[in-house]
Amino acid sequence: MAQATKGRLNYRCPSCFMRDLDIDMFYDAQKEEFYCMRCQFIGSEAEVLRMNEMVRVRYKDMMKRFNDFEDFSE
Amino acid sequence: MDQFVVNIIHRPEMVPEYAEKVTGQGKTEDIGRKALLTESLDIFKIQQQCAHENGLKTTIQMTYASLFNDEAVALAKEHHEKYGDEIALSLLGLPCEQFREKYKTKDFCIWMFSMEDKKAIVRDVFGKFYERFGFYPESTGSYYMDADLINFIKAEYPSVKCAVATCWEEGPKAYHTCNNSWYTFMDGGPWAPWIPSKQNTHAPAANEAEDSGIVAIPHLSRDLLACYDGNGSNFGTHPQNVLRGMIYDTETWEYPYLYNLIDQYRSLAKYNNGYAYNMMFVGPGWMNKMGRWEAPYELLKKSYWDGCAYYGQLKKEGKLTDMTMSEFADFYRQKKTYTEPECALWRDILYGSNKQLFWYCDPYMRAGVNMDQGGAIFDLRPYVAKLEWPVGIGTPHIQDASYPFLMQEKYRAGYFTHYAGEGTIRSAKVCHNGEEVDLCLCRTKAHFSQEGSRRILTLDPVEIAFSDLTVKLQTVITFAEGESSIRIDRNILEMSDPDAVVTINEYMVGCYGTTEYTEDMSSLTLGVDGETIPYEYKCRELAAKDAGEVWCKLPPIDTRVSMVCEGREKSGYIKEGYAFSPMFTLGYTGKLQDKEVFTTWLKLQKAD
Repeated sequence: MAQATKGRLNYRCPSCFMRDLDIDMFYDAQKEEFYCMRCQFIGSEAEVLRMNEMVRVRYKDMMKRFNDFEDFSE
Repeated sequence: MDQFVVNIIHRPEMVPEYAEKVTGQGKTEDIGRKALLTESLDIFKIQQQCAHENGLKTTIQMTYASLFNDEAVALAKEHHEKYGDEIALSLLGLPCEQFREKYKTKDFCIWMFSMEDKKAIVRDVFGKFYERFGFYPESTGSYYMDADLINFIKAEYPSVKCAVATCWEEGPKAYHTCNNSWYTFMDGGPWAPWIPSKQNTHAPAANEAEDSGIVAIPHLSRDLLACYDGNGSNFGTHPQNVLRGMIYDTETWEYPYLYNLIDQYRSLAKYNNGYAYNMMFVGPGWMNKMGRWEAPYELLKKSYWDGCAYYGQLKKEGKLTDMTMSEFADFYRQKKTYTEPECALWRDILYGSNKQLFWYCDPYMRAGVNMDQGGAIFDLRPYVAKLEWPVGIGTPHIQDASYPFLMQEKYRAGYFTHYAGEGTIRSAKVCHNGEEVDLCLCRTKAHFSQEGSRRILTLDPVEIAFSDLTVKLQTVITFAEGESSIRIDRNILEMSDPDAVVTINEYMVGCYGTTEYTEDMSSLTLGVDGETIPYEYKCRELAAKDAGEVWCKLPPIDTRVSMVCEGREKSGYIKEGYAFSPMFTLGYTGKLQDKEVFTTWLKLQKAD
């Protein structure tokens, strides 16, 4: 089995990102999966992308545009 | 009319941070690779183009490596002539073959070198700059510039008047985010421009004698709420940092958060006599052709263009003034006095929590107030000590450039602790018939006002519900310019039983340090007026009726913190703490009835 490499894009581990850790994942071409060296996450690119959307759940106002920063009525 | 100033800064970094790690994966290290040098310069050109096409001038911070590159030097000269860009000099971007050959090290952060090396490198870099341009720069910078470094540069090169000198709240959090491999420990500084003191870069100068001679600007304008708890490098006016935080829509590539961040900074003019500030400083490694993490190059480029376009639009609308760093230094010197504070009433613009903080910074302190905890002070840095804190190899603080705290609710807990002990916070408890309510549990909002030299934070009243009594209480927090103290008034506006009497307990739980881990408290002394307790982790307490002052002296940070009080039946007390709760507590208790007020002042002094 050949060594792992970086993927096409340099995905971070979504599980570690959720605990404020930026860890580059490595890619196992034979199994077509990314894996994290720090934690136990493994997943396909599709799974990584799905979990990256879960990361955004905490950003409830991510797409909101604010006009008044002292107005809490909305 | 309000004035919102922006500094756009670019650096031609021939070996960009991250780029060698990213593009060189699977190859042996070679920082002289031609492809790397060419790409780096291309990114710089694109950044310049983004700014210029949006009508913005820039400060070009030449790196040491770029001074060896004829094309980079020629570009800087051309853009200075054509667009009015300032040609400045960065102490970032040291890595290159020439530097490694000369200094025999892979270190690249100027503040962590020995003082001897700092001097040699500064003379070398400034000399090389003079050789290429025929003058010395007026602006410089790094992620952090320690006081000894600034003092040396100012003495040797008096033309320097502006420097990028810290990253706001970049400390243990950034270290953890980078898998404990990013050694930039520089928490506890100002978030907006300031005049550093000669003794400590983070602590603003109180007068001409303390003036280091430069105006400092922070590296990026950061989210004053998100950065305090999360990774600072996700929440700043660095478009690619917003991508790093994944704060964008993956389908549409939209990121309104970036514009909210810029606009909230614009809104700070209300609290700072009509002036607000932003800076954008993106290293070329963040616009790598290979993409950065999950963001492809096209998105990286788009975000940078959009950032510049928004600043450009504000300029066209007359809502923004773009300046070079040296222009800004002149502006700032005219605009600000030494003791004028920087204030920021800041709200959550990302998580939907509606939390609101207030940050205050002057030459005597930096303080954070949390309205979601009833106006509790959750962070306090005693700048009054002007702590001499040499940084770098050969000093007691090789990496740790943070200004020490007396309270830091994330590193040393705040209101909430597990099982036993207390965390650092300045709050109050209201007690009645055996029931006790801490104001940390009373969520509210605040309004800012200014009366003469006093900045006043008036909180919306909160309701405290006991089983047989309801109390409506209002907190007013006053920062008086130049007085190194924080006044807190607790006003009883209404009681369901007008004859009821409640007990108030005003307290501060403190310690000292720069990280999550406790320091040795053995050298501290606590006192109620003249009676003292030397700190020995013995959980002792001392109280005195009508005490004039309760205090703690902290020799390791050359600070004396105290509380004084005006209120009915006041009694001052101190608590020593113990090994499982290595804190100290200063406080006053007293009585309150309807329409009465209980007032305390938290005072900071240099210990000696």
